[in-house]
Amino acid sequence: MINTVILSWVTFIYFTAFAFYLVRMVSGKEIWGRLATVAALIGLFAQTTALILRWITSYQMGIGHAPLSNLYESLIFFSWSIVALYLLMEWRTKSRSLGTFVVPVAFLSMAFASLSPNVSSRIQPLIPALQSNWLTTHVLTCFLGYAAFTVAFALGLMVFMKGLERRNPESSRSFIQLIPEADILDELIYQSVVLGFVFLTIGIMTGSIWAHYAWGSYWSWDPKETWSLITWLVYAIMLHARYVRGWRGKRMAVMAIIGFVSVLITYLGVNYLPGLHSYQ
Amino acid sequence: MSKKNPVWSFFASVKLAIVLLILISAASILGTLIPQQEAAGPFISRLSPGVADILRSLQLFNIFHSAWFMLLMALLATNLIVCSLNRFPAAWKRFRKEPEPDQADLFEQIPADQTVISETPLKEETDRLENLLKKKLKGVRRRDGSDHAYLYGEKGSYAHFGVYIIHTSVLILMAGVVIGFLFGFEGYVDIPEGESAAAVALKGGGGTKSLDFAVRCDRFFIDFYENGMPKTYRSDLSFVKDGRVVQTSPVLVNHPVTFAGIRFYQANYGMIPSGDPIMVVTEGDKKIKDVKVAIGMEFDLPGKKAKVQMIRVEENLMGMGPAVKLNIQSPAGQVQIWIFQAIEQIHQANPGLIEQAPLFNPSLFKPYVFSLDQANKQYYTGLQVMQDPGVPIVATGALVMMIGFLVVFFSSYRQIWIRLDSRGDKTRISIAGKSNKDAVGLDREIRKWLDAVKLNKESAS
Repeated sequence: MINTVILSWVTFIYFTAFAFYLVRMVSGKEIWGRLATVAALIGLFAQTTALILRWITSYQMGIGHAPLSNLYESLIFFSWSIVALYLLMEWRTKSRSLGTFVVPVAFLSMAFASLSPNVSSRIQPLIPALQSNWLTTHVLTCFLGYAAFTVAFALGLMVFMKGLERRNPESSRSFIQLIPEADILDELIYQSVVLGFVFLTIGIMTGSIWAHYAWGSYWSWDPKETWSLITWLVYAIMLHARYVRGWRGKRMAVMAIIGFVSVLITYLGVNYLPGLHSYQ
Repeated sequence: MSKKNPVWSFFASVKLAIVLLILISAASILGTLIPQQEAAGPFISRLSPGVADILRSLQLFNIFHSAWFMLLMALLATNLIVCSLNRFPAAWKRFRKEPEPDQADLFEQIPADQTVISETPLKEETDRLENLLKKKLKGVRRRDGSDHAYLYGEKGSYAHFGVYIIHTSVLILMAGVVIGFLFGFEGYVDIPEGESAAAVALKGGGGTKSLDFAVRCDRFFIDFYENGMPKTYRSDLSFVKDGRVVQTSPVLVNHPVTFAGIRFYQANYGMIPSGDPIMVVTEGDKKIKDVKVAIGMEFDLPGKKAKVQMIRVEENLMGMGPAVKLNIQSPAGQVQIWIFQAIEQIHQANPGLIEQAPLFNPSLFKPYVFSLDQANKQYYTGLQVMQDPGVPIVATGALVMMIGFLVVFFSSYRQIWIRLDSRGDKTRISIAGKSNKDAVGLDREIRKWLDAVKLNKESAS
């Protein structure tokens, strides 16, 4: 199908964008950064087109549904949200150094979707449990939240890179100097986490409403539900530590990384645990 | 209550809140790693009895309903209440506080571009700006000096309470869960097509609960997609009260039906055999014959010129269910085999049985395979039955939480001060501001006011 062909090209385009961002960071030449932005924009445009085509194709097959219904489609949408959010931030903050850390996650998600033999790219009809109006809202909000947490994670990595500069200032490479100042990073981490936290909360709530209609209970302590709560608690702890105990900088970066590990377990790890939520 | 009380100060600490959140997270992680409730059975059987007993006494197979998990939740709720009560007076004071309009020190380090010159005299300009502020901001106050004036306005003072809104919402959610736990129930019932049930089995082996009406399954229905994936599961239910059908509704996955405050969900289905037994003969994947089961019944197998006769029919042979003994006569000789209805279960329970006893091998006479079946199969529907009076409360909690999020994350308390200095028949206007967070938003707010002042100047000239 044409959409999967486009999507496998998008994987390649995102890799190219990542490579350009990396070259920009190492060489310090902004031309590479501009190329990287152009590549990421082309990738996002192609990916959006492919998602719309996939949506249309599903209707032509008579099993129409938004392309958010299985692991393949969720990985594609995950990567789409990451790149869309990143490009928005690049435009707002006028800084490209985040790209080196965020875009590879989008690329890996696409590569996993395209290459893993366990991930089927076929458009499948919806089983009865998924035939709900809440499917789209639930998946959409959850993945926008995951994307924001991914950005926070990448910013957390940058905080540690920036820390290297302080340890031996004379040998500091140009690429570390390109990373924004620590307080800007801290503010960006905070804003990304707030965005992710709000979306995750809405995601959990829409999921609960759906579960109320589908499974008869708004909360069943299914592993995915439980892990989404754990993720929510990790970020709740992070926000409280910042507000009340004044955590900044490295501590927030560590929390952003722990939070992201929890997101990955919620998203992919729980498929290895038995439960109602596992992708088939 | 004294705030020096050690119990009070223990519960008033945010450290406790963070420790509790970490403990709840850790317990939840454990709850996803150790199989819980019904799923725990196979796991327990692999443990030594001593270990299993210890884990069971720690309620590790039902963590989310265990006494200690509830205790953690109760501690968290207490912590939330005490913390909020402890901090609320300070927030109230901040809310009630009316800052002085003339704060000269605020204007000492403002950037140059936050100052503009207006063509109108001091008095006139101050009046105009005061009206403008009153339209957009709250708590507007003015202080006039001999050659200068100060104006003050603020917005978003409700942002002081955002955190309390969120914490209240968490308490409402918890209350809803507790109410559901105390006054609700969760049960299951399997109803064959055409039959009724007036009681349900409670989840977790909690006995049965009788309903004051009966549920009849008129029909169960499955539909498949072309590729074989299930498309629809549907039960047509009738609710019968005092021998009269009161309501008839279909129940589908994602579309439960409510009767008398109790919700019914399509959760499961299955088939139960019924009707006369029949003998089925297949060759490869193809069914080539089915014959009614009776002693002495004879049929032919044309491919091998064989004649088959049922020589014994048993309702329950050696505790292994219905069985039929066949005598197969062909030019190659005579073979006798027993055909069991429950051959799959027997095979699972005794692997290697067929190799040891060819007498029990249903595919001994190749290429044919014999099996026992029943003429009719009847569907039963598996319904989940729920009553949870806590749901509206939980929903209210969720709504309140979203309102709290809007206040905490997307609005901020902003204060604007304007200082006007007389410069002959002109006026110098400086704008300063403060915000509890969101410096970027404050800057935008100040720019907006600078633009408004400039616009004012233009319209006046």
